[in-house]
Amino acid sequence: MVSLSFGEKVMHTIIIIFLIIVGAIAVAPLISVIAVSFSSRLPVELNEVTLWPKGFTLDSWNYILSRSDLWRSFAVTVCATLTGTALSLLITALTAYPLTKPEFKIRSILMVAIVITMVFKAPLIPYFLTVKAVGLYNNPLVLFVPHILTAFNLIIMRTFFLQFPVELEEAAVVEGAGYFRRLFSLVLPLSKAVLATLGLFYGVTIWNQFQHPLLFVTDPDWFPLQLKIRQYITSDNELPIVGSIAELNYNSRTLRSVTIAFSIIPIIMVYPYLQKYFVKGALLGSVKG
Amino acid sequence: MFRRKMLILMMSVVIMAGLIAGCSSSSSNKNETTSNGSGNTSGETEAAEKILDIEVWTGNTGFKAVEKGSPVYNFYAELLGVGFISPYVEWNGGTDYLNALNSRIAAGEMPNVFLPYNGIEADLAKNGAIADLTDLLPQYASKLWELIPEEVWNIVKANDPTGQGRIYWVPGIKSYERTTGLIRKDWLDALGLEMPKTQEEYVNVLRAFKEQDPNGNGVADEIPTGGRENARWMDHLFNQYGIAMMEGFPDWDIYDGELTFSAVTQNMKDALAFIAQLYKEGLMDQETFLNDKATWDGKIDSNLVGNYFHWGQGAYEHLEKLELGAGVKAEIAVLPVIEAPGYEGQGFITTKQLGSPEWVVSAQQDEEHLIASLKFLNEIADESKWYDLYMGVEGMHHEVVDGKKVKLPEDKSTQQIGVAPFYAWGSMEFQEQLLLDSASEENKWRYEQSIKNMKELQQYVKVIASDGLPSSIYDGYPDIKNNTLWYEYATKIIIGTYSIDKFDEFVEKWYKSGGDVVTERAREWYATVNQ
Amino acid sequence: MNKESSSKGLLCNVRRYWPLYLMSIPGIVFFVIFKFIPMGGTVIAFQEYSVFKGILQSQWVGFKNFEILFRSSDFYRIFTNTLILGFLKITIMFAVPIILALLLNEIRRAMLKKTIQTALYIPHFLSWVIIAGITFEIFSLSGIYNTIRDWFGLQPVLLMQQESSFRWIYVFTGIWRDAGWGTIVYLAAISSIDAQIYEAAVIDGASRLKQMVYITFPLLLPTILVLFLLEVGNFMELGFDHVYTLLTPMTYSVGDIIDTYVYRTGIQEARYSFATAVGLFQAVIGFILVMIFNKLSNKVSGEGLW
Repeated sequence: MVSLSFGEKVMHTIIIIFLIIVGAIAVAPLISVIAVSFSSRLPVELNEVTLWPKGFTLDSWNYILSRSDLWRSFAVTVCATLTGTALSLLITALTAYPLTKPEFKIRSILMVAIVITMVFKAPLIPYFLTVKAVGLYNNPLVLFVPHILTAFNLIIMRTFFLQFPVELEEAAVVEGAGYFRRLFSLVLPLSKAVLATLGLFYGVTIWNQFQHPLLFVTDPDWFPLQLKIRQYITSDNELPIVGSIAELNYNSRTLRSVTIAFSIIPIIMVYPYLQKYFVKGALLGSVKG
Repeated sequence: MFRRKMLILMMSVVIMAGLIAGCSSSSSNKNETTSNGSGNTSGETEAAEKILDIEVWTGNTGFKAVEKGSPVYNFYAELLGVGFISPYVEWNGGTDYLNALNSRIAAGEMPNVFLPYNGIEADLAKNGAIADLTDLLPQYASKLWELIPEEVWNIVKANDPTGQGRIYWVPGIKSYERTTGLIRKDWLDALGLEMPKTQEEYVNVLRAFKEQDPNGNGVADEIPTGGRENARWMDHLFNQYGIAMMEGFPDWDIYDGELTFSAVTQNMKDALAFIAQLYKEGLMDQETFLNDKATWDGKIDSNLVGNYFHWGQGAYEHLEKLELGAGVKAEIAVLPVIEAPGYEGQGFITTKQLGSPEWVVSAQQDEEHLIASLKFLNEIADESKWYDLYMGVEGMHHEVVDGKKVKLPEDKSTQQIGVAPFYAWGSMEFQEQLLLDSASEENKWRYEQSIKNMKELQQYVKVIASDGLPSSIYDGYPDIKNNTLWYEYATKIIIGTYSIDKFDEFVEKWYKSGGDVVTERAREWYATVNQ
Repeated sequence: MNKESSSKGLLCNVRRYWPLYLMSIPGIVFFVIFKFIPMGGTVIAFQEYSVFKGILQSQWVGFKNFEILFRSSDFYRIFTNTLILGFLKITIMFAVPIILALLLNEIRRAMLKKTIQTALYIPHFLSWVIIAGITFEIFSLSGIYNTIRDWFGLQPVLLMQQESSFRWIYVFTGIWRDAGWGTIVYLAAISSIDAQIYEAAVIDGASRLKQMVYITFPLLLPTILVLFLLEVGNFMELGFDHVYTLLTPMTYSVGDIIDTYVYRTGIQEARYSFATAVGLFQAVIGFILVMIFNKLSNKVSGEGLW
C-alpha cells in the first residue's frame, strides 16, 4: 500500500474523529430509548431518564418477550419480509433490465409512466377499493404484494445496470445468449451491491410497514410487528382509569421503548451481513482492457 | 453457481407464497363469523333466546378485539343477550378510526352499531345510512330512552341535520363536571397562606410558591402554575374572567347580550394580558406551550407544580406518584374560581349537559339485527349492569379476592375491549363507588381526597348557553373549528412575542376568515332553540 | 413517421425483442393494478366526493376545491413555507449524504467503517414522534442545549418556541434522521467502481483528495443526478410527520406547510376531495419540475430519466 503523506494522515484522523462524533450523535436517540426500556415506571413518569436507565429493571422486557402474540407477529413479519424481498428483487430486476436496452421501444414511455407513479399518489378510498377488488383484503398476501415494486428502487437498479460497459454483454451476445441468460448469468451476479442495497430497502419497507396492514388486515393473528406494537402504545387517556396501578413496574412508555428496540435489533443484525456486498472492486477483472 | 442460487431462491419464494396462501385460506374460514346482517345465530341462553351477532365499533386504545366465542363475547351474551363482536380498529386520535370507518362504508360494510366521530353522524343521517331512532328507542330501548333526560333528547332533535326534528344518534350526557383548578394545599399550609380568593391574593400565593421553597428541597425549582400546549389545561387562568372554555378550548356563551365566541371578547383580551404578565414574571411554566400530557404530569408528579387544572377525581394518581417518588403525602384541593379585577362574581367553571354522540345504528341491516342493535343499546343503559360491565370478565379484567371483585391492572395484550357506558352516562355516585372500590386501607386517603374534590368543584360550575350547539355551524370553515388562529395568537401573546395589542388583529382576522358566518349561524341556532 | 408505420414498428419490435417485453410484464401489471387504477380515483379532486355515493355518483364541482385552497387566507404562507423548506431539502439535506459517503469511503479499517455506518443509519428506524420528542427534550429548559448555555453564563432560550430557529431545526433533524440512510445508495455505487482505476491513479501519484475529486465524485455523478431528479419530483413533499411533530402554534408562521394545513382541514375532517385536490396540486408542480430538470440534465450531461 502506498503510504500517505503527513498532511493526508492528519486529514484522515480528522475525518475519522468527525465521523465518530456524528455516529455517536446519531445513535443517541436509540440509547435513550433503550435506557427507558430498562427503567422503572416511576422515574420514567417523572421524566428523569435520559441516556442511562434509572431503577434498572427487566420487567418491561419480561412482559413484552412473554407475549406470545408478539412472537407470532414477529414470525409473520419475518416470513413476509423474506418472501417479499426475494419477490421484489426478482421483479425489480426483470423490469429494470429492459429499461436499459435502447432497442426496447417503449422504454421512454415506461420511464415517464414510472416517474408519474412516484409523483402522483392515489387517494385513500380508491386505493382501498382497488386492493380489495383484487382480493387482498384480509389476505396475508397483502403484507408484501403491494410493496413488490417501487419506482424509486426500480430507477436505482436501472441506473446501476446502465453503469456496466456495453462490452460486458457483447461476448455473450456473440455466443448467442438470449436476454434472460444475459440478465441472470452476467448482469445480476455483478450487481451484488445494488441487490443488497435494494434488498435492504424493500426489506425495511416490509418490516416497518404499518399503513397498509392498518387498512387491510383485520385478523389480529396476521398483524405484522409494527401494527402489533402500536397496540401497546396508548395515547395517554385524559381520564384516569380506576384500578390498581401501583404493583406494575412498567407503563406504556417503557413498554413502547422495549417494542421499538425489539423491532430495530433484527435490522441491526442483518445489515453487517449485507455489508460485504458493498466491498470495492466487485467488478474487478470482469472486463479486460 | 449464481444461477443455482437464483433457482433455489425462486423455488423458496414459490413455496413460501404457497404456504402463506394455504394458511390464509384456513384462517379466513375462521373469520367468516364476523357477519353483518347475514343472520348468524350461535349459542343458546337458558331461555332459548336467539343470540344475534352484531358488529360494534368503538374507540379502542389498543385492547384485543372481541371475536365470536371469546370471553367477552360469552360474557356479554349472557349479560346483555346479544352477540357482541368488536374488531380491533386503531384509534390514533380518531383519524385512523375515521379512515377505517369510511373505507368500510365505501365498501358497503358498515358496522351494526358504532361510535361516530368528528361529525360524521351528520353526513350519515343526511344520506340515510343510519337509522332514525326517534320512535325505535322508546319502543325497543326504553331503558336508554329514560336514562337520558328529556331536555337532552330535545336538543338532539333540535340539532337534527335533516332538519326534521328526528333523533339519529345517542348522545353522551355529562351529569357532572369533572374539571377544576387544583392547588397544593400542603404548600399553602407550609407557607402559612390562606386559600386565595381574589386575584391579588392568588398572585401573591404564586409568588410565594416561587420564592419561598414550599417543596422544601432548598432549590428554587418550583413552578407556581402552568398548563399544556395550545394553551390548554390552564382554564383556571381564563375562567376568572368569565370566559367559556372546555378543557382549554374556547367556547360560545352570552357576552353583551349576544351568543359570542369567547375567544374574541373583551374578557379574553383582559385574560390574556393577565396571563402574559404571569408568564413574564416567571410565575408560569416557561415551557407551558411545549408541554405534552406526559411532560406536564411529570412535573406535577415531581413535586414541582403548585397549581394546575385537571380532573378533580383524578387527584389520586398524582398523590400516588408524589408519595412514591418524592416521598410526600400531599394534599390536593380545589382552587376556587378566582375573582379578577372588574370581573368579580363573573367567573365560573364551564360545563355542558350534552355530551358528544356516542352511538349510531346502521340503517343497512335487516330488521332482526336492527332490533338486536337496539337491544344492545338498551341493555348497556341499564345502570344495574354497569358494575358488572366495569368489572368485566373474571380472570381477564378482574379477579375475586376474599369474595370481593378486584380489578386487574390494565394489560392490552390479554384484555379485550369492552363497553364503558358509565363513562358516557355515569353519575357522580357511580364514580364515587368505583373510586372507593379501588381503595385499600393504606391508600384510601388518596381516593377520599379525589372524591372530596369531585364534589367540591360543583359549586363553581355553570352550564353555558351554547349547550347543544351543533358542530355543523363550522361547515366549510375547518380552521375556525380547529381554533388554529386562536392557538397562534394566544400562545404568542402569552410568551410575549406579540404585544397584547395584537389581540385586536386576531379578532379582525378571525371574523374575516369565516368567524362572521359561523357567528351568524350560531346566533340563528340560539334563537331557534330558545323560542 | 406516420402512425401506421410506427404501430407496425412497435409490433416488429415486440416480435424481435419479445424477451424484453415478457420480462416487463409482471412490473407493468403491478403498476397498472396498484398505481394507475387507483390513480384514476384522483378524479375525486374535481368532485364533492361522498363515501355513500361513490365516485360515479358524487357531484362534479370542477376546480372548486382548488379555489378553496388558493383563496384561503393562509395559502400564501403555507405555499411559501413549503417552497422554502423544499429548497432546503433538495440542497443542504440532499448534499449531506453524499459528503458523508465520500468521507466514509476514506476509512480503511473495516470494523470501524461498519460500526459507524450502522450507527449512522439507526435513527432512520425511529419514528418522527420519537425523534421530535427527543429534539424537544434537548432544547427544553433542562436539556443539553440550555445546560451548555448555562456553563457559558448565557440565559436559557426555548428554541422550539422561536420562529427563527424552526427551519434550522427542520434541517438538522432531517439530517440527523435520514442522512445516514441516504449514504447507502452512494456507498453501493462507490463500491461498484473498478478498483483498477484507483490503482492507476495512485501509480500516477494522485493524492487521496485528488482521487476523491477526480475519480469517485465524477463516477458517482450519474447516481447523484438520478437521485436528485427523484428528489425534485417529490419537491413539495416535505415529510408530513417530520414537520407535524416539530410544529407548535408559535412556529406556524414559518412551519405550517401545505401538508399540515391539509391534515387539519382535509384529512382530519375526512374531506377526501379537498385533500386529493391539494395532493394533485403538489404532484403537478413536482412533475413539472422533474420535466424541467430532466431536460436540463439531458442537455448538460447527456443523461436523464428519460
